[in-house]
Amino acid sequence: MKVLVVEDELKIADYLYKGLTEQGCSVDLAHDGLDGQHLALEVDYDVIVLDQMLPGLDGLALLKSLRTAKDTPVIMLTARDRIEDRVKGLRAGADDYLVKPFSFMELLARLQALTRRGRKQEATELHVGDLVIDLLARKASRNDRRIDLTAKEFALLSVLARHQGQILSKTAIAEMVWDVNFDTNANVVEVAIKRLRAKIDAPFKTGLLHTVRGMGYVLEERPAP
Amino acid sequence: MNAIHSIAGRLAAMFALAALLVLSILAYILDRELATVLERQQVEQLDTKFKDIDYVLKRLRGPEQWERIHAKLDALTPPDRSTQYWILSDDPQIRYGNALAEIVSISQDASSVGELRIGGRAEPMLIRNDYFPADERHAALRFIVGVDSEPYARTRRAFRTVMLASVSGGVLLVALIGYLITHWGLVPLKRLSREAHALSPSMLSQRLVTAQLPAELSDLAQSFNGALDRLEAAYQQLESFNADVTHDLRTPLTNLIGHTQVALSRERSVPQLVEVLQSNLEDMERLRGIVNDMLFLARANQGERPQQLLRTSLAAEVHKAIEFLDFLLEEAQVHVRVQGDAQAPIERSLFCRAVTNLLHNAIRHSPPGSEIVVELAAAEDHARVTVSNPGPAIPAEHLGRLFDRFYRVDASRTNSGESHGLGLAIVKAVAAMHAGNVSATSRGGITTVGFSVLLDAQDSA
Repeated sequence: MKVLVVEDELKIADYLYKGLTEQGCSVDLAHDGLDGQHLALEVDYDVIVLDQMLPGLDGLALLKSLRTAKDTPVIMLTARDRIEDRVKGLRAGADDYLVKPFSFMELLARLQALTRRGRKQEATELHVGDLVIDLLARKASRNDRRIDLTAKEFALLSVLARHQGQILSKTAIAEMVWDVNFDTNANVVEVAIKRLRAKIDAPFKTGLLHTVRGMGYVLEERPAP
Repeated sequence: MNAIHSIAGRLAAMFALAALLVLSILAYILDRELATVLERQQVEQLDTKFKDIDYVLKRLRGPEQWERIHAKLDALTPPDRSTQYWILSDDPQIRYGNALAEIVSISQDASSVGELRIGGRAEPMLIRNDYFPADERHAALRFIVGVDSEPYARTRRAFRTVMLASVSGGVLLVALIGYLITHWGLVPLKRLSREAHALSPSMLSQRLVTAQLPAELSDLAQSFNGALDRLEAAYQQLESFNADVTHDLRTPLTNLIGHTQVALSRERSVPQLVEVLQSNLEDMERLRGIVNDMLFLARANQGERPQQLLRTSLAAEVHKAIEFLDFLLEEAQVHVRVQGDAQAPIERSLFCRAVTNLLHNAIRHSPPGSEIVVELAAAEDHARVTVSNPGPAIPAEHLGRLFDRFYRVDASRTNSGESHGLGLAIVKAVAAMHAGNVSATSRGGITTVGFSVLLDAQDSA
């Protein structure tokens, strides 16, 4: 994935570059609006991460000039969280919006969502190690042993399996499983993961559902230590 | 102070206007009355003069007596000619007075009383004109008496001058007295103003002295003091809120700095460093959560309104929140019952967030095996959502403050990890965004917390 990051805050630009590069993206950096505009118009990117407040040329103006020429997906970053700002950004043609402070995991998830458009047909059966998830029959089994899951547990498992190998934050999980798009103190995701783990991991030798402390959860087969 | 903008100046002007109006009406009435009286006097004077002549004419013995009559009329005519006599007749022996054109012109008419303007005189003459037909003693004649109205006119002019002077003087006097009275009457207001000037943020508990104020100002001062009370309460709430937010931010910050410093003070293995980063991340996520919620509350406080109100079943939204919290309910072994329903225009994610916070709050305070009841009802112009759960009684002094930011009934629970005390403040903000309010009661071992949303979205726009 080829990404352009237009961000004047050096520390943010730095970790975005590092984080995205490590996720396998090829990243270009621009530290002001004019550089950003030049790159955005000259190079074909899969997605552009655009700060709203920029020296030289502000994010909205850059976006407007970009939209006259290209449809590159754009995710806006802003420190101002007023609905007018959001509406202004979306009107100007932004595809998504993130308010600072945002988590890197969330940015990554949104970037993937933006570039996933027109992706290949979803599989009907997912495999994670010896775990098999039949999305049509809504059944899961491990080592040919049927695992009984409630509807929500199955929804959680299929979300994790669709993103296997990828760390999902609690916020992302809450949004994908329960369609809850607000911050809450309720530790619903932790409890749900605990229950799911009790069903899919506890009876078996190897665990597939891992906690990445501070980041979220990942479903993957890890080599035995 | 500009006189037009001062109360004393304005009242003085209004007094003056009122005095002008009243005195002018009086002066007008007096002037009319004087005119009537003077006119009557003039007519009477005319009549008296006329009767004299009439008497003479009636006693006339023969034409030889006309000489005497003319002499008598000469004698009766004063030197300033303010009274004049004319006798018009075809008989030259009878004729008297210089027959001016004006006199001749009226003589054609029948007997009459009227005014006649005679050349060379400032004021018209009041004229009585009578016709005496011919008889055995004299030929037909016309007798005319004229009285100059100049003295009457002078009297009226003098009267008018005096009236004008006294009305103007009176108006000025009333304005002055009015000004002084108002000035004197406003002394308590000035005192109040000085006191209000002396109020300062450093002495929040200072109030205006209402004891010696007149009733009208006492009300004002009391309302002002009421406003000061509310301001003081808000100010103190803000101060304690600042202290709370600092505390809530300080804890994770201290953790972050401490952990990082300890980690960097020695050579550490990679797993140890990873452990530190992970711990840091948890604290930072907590900070982010607080900052985001604070931003949300700040926006709601600034009067931000939901953008997409959708009329929908509140029960359906409550069920969504229950579904989300299902695992927690099972863990806590608590059951939720939903009663009633209402249709209201809401922004669904905001409403759901508020209900989730209320339910989460209820779950944490309910003993295992108990039941939480969510009641939905539409009353008048609001739809109300209440969540009741069995739990320890909450003292009345805490109930009103439950919705304050960072407020906790149990002060010892301030650092209970996941909860940062903004849940109910967010409920209040969501209610405010839907033009509703919040309520909390604790009775008979049941705690009920709820909020309302406006039923008619048009009013909130």
